[in-house]
Amino acid sequence: MRPLWAKFEEAFWPIRCVWLRYLHVYLKNWVYGLVTTFVEPLLYLVSFGYGLGSMIGSVEANGISVSYRQFVFAGFVAQSCLFQGFFEAAYGSFVRMYYQKIFKAMASTPITLSEVLWGELLWDATKGTLSACAILLLGSLSGDLSPWGSLMAVPLCFLGALLFSSLGLWMAALSQTIEQISYPQYLLVFPMFLFCGVYFPLETLPETLQTLASFLPLTALLSLIRWLTLDFPFQIQALAVFIFWLVLMVFISRDTMSRRLVK
Amino acid sequence: MTASLEVKNLTKSYQRKGQPPFVAVKDLSFEVRPGEIFGLLGPNGAGKSTTINCLTGFYPPTHGEVLIEGFNIHRDPKKAKQHLGVCSQEDTLDTDFDVLDQMLRYGTFYRMNHFEIVKRARLLLETLGLMEKSNELIENLSGGMRRKLQVARALISNPKVLVLDEPTTGLDPDARRTLWQLLTENRKQGMATLLSTHYMEEAERLCDRIAILFEGKVLDLDSPENLIKKYIGTEIIEEEIRPGVIWKRNPNLEDVFLKLTGKSLSSGDSE
Repeated sequence: MRPLWAKFEEAFWPIRCVWLRYLHVYLKNWVYGLVTTFVEPLLYLVSFGYGLGSMIGSVEANGISVSYRQFVFAGFVAQSCLFQGFFEAAYGSFVRMYYQKIFKAMASTPITLSEVLWGELLWDATKGTLSACAILLLGSLSGDLSPWGSLMAVPLCFLGALLFSSLGLWMAALSQTIEQISYPQYLLVFPMFLFCGVYFPLETLPETLQTLASFLPLTALLSLIRWLTLDFPFQIQALAVFIFWLVLMVFISRDTMSRRLVK
Repeated sequence: MTASLEVKNLTKSYQRKGQPPFVAVKDLSFEVRPGEIFGLLGPNGAGKSTTINCLTGFYPPTHGEVLIEGFNIHRDPKKAKQHLGVCSQEDTLDTDFDVLDQMLRYGTFYRMNHFEIVKRARLLLETLGLMEKSNELIENLSGGMRRKLQVARALISNPKVLVLDEPTTGLDPDARRTLWQLLTENRKQGMATLLSTHYMEEAERLCDRIAILFEGKVLDLDSPENLIKKYIGTEIIEEEIRPGVIWKRNPNLEDVFLKLTGKSLSSGDSE
């Protein structure tokens, strides 16, 4: 009987191969990669964290009082997962699926379409995690975020980025043209970014909006990141909502993309 | 001799909203033996690309099965595709890589070792006249070079079964001949090749046997010579190609196709 690690290696080797293909492309254009991964969240961070943060002072959320800079630092960690994960998967995978047709090319080799899609999602999630890690590192170095909490938040960020990558892949699979990806971008991603508690505590919103926002995946991710990095109270509902969306999105995105490609 | 590629009773239908399913391929059976070049000849819309998508494992068949070196491509895709090289009709080159990197990257998908991939990639690029372009980005290649690279990529693992969907479309005569030569060399090594084409000259020249496909069905399957003899005969055909200009020529597969279907090979809607 083959050892377990051999079976594990055989199962994950094709996905690793696809993931390495993306890494290879990323490293070939590493300056572009660094700029697109890190500059945007860092600009937000400087502008809101240090600019607006110095004017606002402290905020109170979930019964905890923290400085505004700490509050948005944690918010931007989740926002990076959202933006990097969603945009890389939505636009990037649409290009790869529709224009380059490389999903089909890779699936003509011993790598299956299912493995190609896993590789795509895991790479998109990796990019989101890299971006989130840059903010976690800065937050830890500046003393705004708990260093141990930040370290523990890394796997969570990966899962968060995987969730939003799946959302992006799903949208790419549903879109007939690349322009159509703008609909979920403006009607779902931007509203989530603005109303899920990145910039202000949810308690300041009207109750209906608060309830609505509490069922959105970004709110759940934010709650878990602030629990780990700022000692906010743990909310079991946030964990449940997060897991629900993660499982649903990963399943639905892969299924929809497979149905689009395989007739 | 055991067939390298076996297609058994393959049927593929597409579901359509509010309409009965569209049957693109109906009960197709054939086999390709080692060293054989087998042609699928038919106009656009005949079901060639659907057949190829099914036998490369991309589309699941509605009925029937496809075996590559004895492995069912839909039930055991990894083992089957380890022996398969595919050059699809559409341009699926990975534009994020240059020519050589593209070959190297795809070699890794077959779990080949690095030195083996480099050696094979260089040989193929050299054979197809692409070595000078090995560090060029795909976007800098002409249409013909892109097509040749796609064929080279399909051959990176030295597969036992090669599937080529309209490989010479867009190639100039010189490039087309280079490719024909490569296929002839591969045949000598025992590679089984399935060639989908609507160029009758190509089919006549390369294929040992041809299946004439029309509206998803095989109308006949035989060697080009036998098909021509069976349906047209051996007599020279005289055609008035311009007013007062008579052209005498040998009968060909186009004549066979016209006789069998009432349509020319270049007619029909795209699939």
